[in-house]
Amino acid sequence: MADVEMKPAEDHKDDGEKVEEAPKKIPPTPAAEIKSNIALIERAVSTLEPRFTHRVLRNLNALRKRLDDAALREAIDGVYPSESSVKKQLLNWLPAASTSDTSMDIDTSATPAAKPPQQDPVPEAEVYIRLLIIHHLLTDKATYAKALELSNETTEKIHAYNRRSLDPISAKVWYAVERAYEFNDKLAEARPFFLAAHRTASLRHDDETQASLINRLLRSYLQYNLYEQADKLVSKTTFPSSAANSQHARYHYYLGRIRAVQLNYSDAHANLQQAIRRAPSATIAPGFYQAVHKLSVVVELLMGDIPDRGLFRYPVLEKALVGYFEIVKAVRTGSLSQFQTTLAKYASQFEADKTYTLIARLRQNVIKTGIRRLSLSYSRISLRDICVKLHLDSEEDAEYIVGKAIRDGVIEGRIVHEKGWMECGGQKSGYGPEVSEVFTRRISYCLELHNQSVKAMRYPLNAHRKELAAAEGAREREKELAKEIQEGGDLDDDDGGLGDGF
Amino acid sequence: MASNLGALYQDLIQTFRSQPSDLKKVGVLLAQLKVGLIQAGLLIPQPGVNPQDLVIAREILEIGAFWSIRTKDIPSFDRYFSQLQTFYNDYRGLLPESPREYPIRGLNLIRLLTQNRIADFHTTLESLPLRADNPFIAHPMNLERWLMEGSYSKVWNAREEAPAEEYKFFVDSLMGTIRNEIASCEETAYDSLPLKDAATLLFFKSQPELVAFAQKRGWQVDLTGGIISFAKKGEEKIEIPKEKLIAANLSYARELEQIV
Repeated sequence: MADVEMKPAEDHKDDGEKVEEAPKKIPPTPAAEIKSNIALIERAVSTLEPRFTHRVLRNLNALRKRLDDAALREAIDGVYPSESSVKKQLLNWLPAASTSDTSMDIDTSATPAAKPPQQDPVPEAEVYIRLLIIHHLLTDKATYAKALELSNETTEKIHAYNRRSLDPISAKVWYAVERAYEFNDKLAEARPFFLAAHRTASLRHDDETQASLINRLLRSYLQYNLYEQADKLVSKTTFPSSAANSQHARYHYYLGRIRAVQLNYSDAHANLQQAIRRAPSATIAPGFYQAVHKLSVVVELLMGDIPDRGLFRYPVLEKALVGYFEIVKAVRTGSLSQFQTTLAKYASQFEADKTYTLIARLRQNVIKTGIRRLSLSYSRISLRDICVKLHLDSEEDAEYIVGKAIRDGVIEGRIVHEKGWMECGGQKSGYGPEVSEVFTRRISYCLELHNQSVKAMRYPLNAHRKELAAAEGAREREKELAKEIQEGGDLDDDDGGLGDGF
Repeated sequence: MASNLGALYQDLIQTFRSQPSDLKKVGVLLAQLKVGLIQAGLLIPQPGVNPQDLVIAREILEIGAFWSIRTKDIPSFDRYFSQLQTFYNDYRGLLPESPREYPIRGLNLIRLLTQNRIADFHTTLESLPLRADNPFIAHPMNLERWLMEGSYSKVWNAREEAPAEEYKFFVDSLMGTIRNEIASCEETAYDSLPLKDAATLLFFKSQPELVAFAQKRGWQVDLTGGIISFAKKGEEKIEIPKEKLIAANLSYARELEQIV
């Protein structure tokens, strides 16, 4: 299933942004990292700067993979005072452990001077730890049910806290909740739950949670092939434009899928292009990259275009797209028999990718391409020959099909019924107002991109003071430099003298 | 479930099964049953209802769907089908599968096809769990494929192969659809066409029928020469959209000004 393949992609999704941060902090143990993250979260809450929370969430995925019971327990120990009730609740979710040695070890090495905290950290930290625990529980089949229970409890908590500074974290929690439901095979049951949460998020203008939940809902509809409902959801909601890139990528992918099913190929194509552009690079999220490209190849074919040959040589895609490449070849040559055999050969793969029905629709495109090729190479051809060349069943069919092709504007030509042949007219030239329209579209895209990037620049508070100081220093240095140059000039003169002497 | 509802239900089944069934009476019974279903809270299933009752409610609605088609009342079929969807989709796990489910789904597909709602057709098709091997679904799927690629004669020939009696009720409107399709193809693909050939292409058996159809489409029929000629549509003139170009260029200039 396409969705299964989406998963590794989603897992990786945010890693793209992580990469640049990684070199800075390779060494800390997971527990130490959680602690420093919680410190950041506290800072975010106290300074009202969601930026810090985002930074914490950005390395969530990398951190997730390194978690274990001991690390989590240690982190909780380190963050909460010993008598805290929250701490007990949290620890309940982890297996009561053969703790002592391991956690002691790490404790001494990682945070030797940490003094025991006096009070509970902010609720955001609690939710963050809960999120980590859910992810951790989801790594093992045995604890799936537990993860589900915890995620239910966590969502209730989020609801009860109702803090805006919690929003970025809760957006991530919803993702974990979905995974928990999915692993427990209860995705359909989670839907009313998501819908209610989405309503709340919209009312609170909580963009990130909204974006996350819209994607959750679309995903769950598409998983069960409920395209009609998914379409209605899309038409009734607006996807917040401030959402993260990865959410946008997913949203566009789902939208592309819906539009493709509805035969709205140009829209589907535009959405898939957006998804490809917004997705992290291929090496980081290969699953998503492949899934989007599979769909986009099919949509491009349905639009009557032939995808680039280079696409199929791309290392990440080459293997995944073998079947699609064969289909492209068949469509390109307009050979109906080759198309049918390829379709049969890769049927199971296409069905798993949920592209089978879309590819089956290509049959008419194969015929159209065939007719177009014939119309280009012959100025007059008998219907009988068309029938033989395209492997059609009867001459009568051929006549209807050619008629339809002419009406649909695939070819320019006439049928002369009395003589039983098709006469092909000249091709239209490729230049006209459409060209300038395409040009305009591209230019406006570039301009938009430029404007967006200007808007996205950040200016930290009071940073200009530092700059002022730096400028001062620079002026100072300049003066010194000028002095040195003057003095150096003398030196040069000396050199010159020396030179003269030689 | 109330006892009078049960009696009505038995009555409905008998009337529906008898050959030929009394459509009028079925209609009356259905109206009464629907009121009964609403009273029992079964028309739109509520949680915690006895599955056995739901099966009966489903059957009543199914009979209603078939009845609408036999009385050629398409909007009514539409309503019944929407009501049935709850039973088919959301209660799939709870209820035993209905033998009439796929015939009705297939009928719905054909309905979409005859109304030329291709996008809806595909959306619906996509949401069906099993496909090609089911004759009730395969039939509309084939029809759609032939329609799309233009093999109209195959559609024409397939009209006798309908898997269920009710499918034939759609044949007439389907033929109307393809005739219009073919006609629009002919208008662009041919300069002129002999009357006799036009009749075969459009599946008309007699000339008067063809002439009436031709007049409706505004074709020039030359009865003595036995030729239909199609009015040429004038080549569209390509005009340069001056204003649009000027506006676009001005906006580029403005944007550039901002950047530099």
